[in-house]
Amino acid sequence: MNRPEQGDLVINGVSTASGGQYGRVKIDGVGTVEGDIVCVDFDCNGMTKIRGSLAADTMDADGMFTIDGHLSAARSFVDGHMKVRGSLKGDSFSVNGLIRVDGNCEIESFNAEGAFEVNGLLNVGSMDVLLHGRGRAGEIGGESIRVKQKARGPLNKLFTWMMPRFAPELHVETIEGDEIDLEYTQADVVRGNRVRIGKGCAIGLVEYRTELSAHPGAKIGKEAKVGD
Amino acid sequence: MERDLISKKELLDEKGISYGQLYRWKRKQLIPEDWFIRKSTFTGQETFFPRDLILARIDKIMNMKDDLSLDELADKLSPALPDYEMRKSDLVKRNIVSSIVLQRFASEDDDSLVYAFDKLLYFYVVDKLLQAGEMSMEEGERLLWTLREHFPKFTGKACDLVFTRKMGVSSFALLSAPSELYFESGVKVVARISMTECIEQLKGKWV
Repeated sequence: MNRPEQGDLVINGVSTASGGQYGRVKIDGVGTVEGDIVCVDFDCNGMTKIRGSLAADTMDADGMFTIDGHLSAARSFVDGHMKVRGSLKGDSFSVNGLIRVDGNCEIESFNAEGAFEVNGLLNVGSMDVLLHGRGRAGEIGGESIRVKQKARGPLNKLFTWMMPRFAPELHVETIEGDEIDLEYTQADVVRGNRVRIGKGCAIGLVEYRTELSAHPGAKIGKEAKVGD
Repeated sequence: MERDLISKKELLDEKGISYGQLYRWKRKQLIPEDWFIRKSTFTGQETFFPRDLILARIDKIMNMKDDLSLDELADKLSPALPDYEMRKSDLVKRNIVSSIVLQRFASEDDDSLVYAFDKLLYFYVVDKLLQAGEMSMEEGERLLWTLREHFPKFTGKACDLVFTRKMGVSSFALLSAPSELYFESGVKVVARISMTECIEQLKGKWV
């Protein structure tokens, strides 16, 4: 993107900066930004808080990252724990760790390893999630939706047995998409074209157009083939 | 004024599109957020759409998606005003606004004056109502004034124009869409026009 030359924002250590337009933003340590921020490159390590919205071309966030407003970034990489109180918009978004979004998500390509929570609608082009912890969303809609569970050792299973709240499962009301491939998912309704219901799923109603394959261990309340 | 709704499932069946396409178009802002109406039914939560709006929109997308990229389509369909402009003389030539309207409301402007899109939109709406024979010239003037004064306040949000008459006294109102509006008896709603649709129609004239 071609923008006029803009100043950079660099925080090292503990500091607060004001929002505005920047070229590059780099925050290491404990940084707070007061107000909305628009920049080309956003890179933060450590504890970062933005009291406003963030719009960036690329975003790389490591550590704890909180955004009070909305986030829109063409390409994002998140390692660690991220919280967005508004909505999230982006072309590609990869997470290792934990992400929580209070509003709606619109992402073309969503890759996550870890846990996620979206309170609104998660609208994705393609979604590939490997669950290590709990996934939660109000609704998921998109073209290709794949949810897998990370292989677990016996110690992990014991941990889950003690604390079922952290079981690596996806909880969602509805999933609608073209290609759906699920594991360890609890959903009221799944609607799709080609649907695969894998191990550990409990689905109330599955509606499919061309194909449904279900794992013998999966619980499906009702299945229906629709349209032609 | 209960709107005729269509459920998501019906829509997909009728138009032969998939969930993926629908969500993709929503992501690209081809379908406005506020058309997604959530209602609880006996099968749980379901999404509905205003039937006439969504069917027209899907047809439009299906027709144009072969020639235009989705991003170009989004520009065309968004309620935000584009930065198109046009010379006054071209307006009549291309039959966008009738010459009567321009004579009446823009006689002091030079023929070579270039209008921005919002000005064109106001003329277009006034012209539309006049052509339909629903409004008098004097009312047209008031409408133009109303639009100039209040339309910019919506800043790209969808809005409707409501034109009512009671006992021969007319009035105009702009309200954010979608919203429901009820009147006392005796009030006649002469016209309710979606400004977003007008913008789309007007934008269509550029191609």
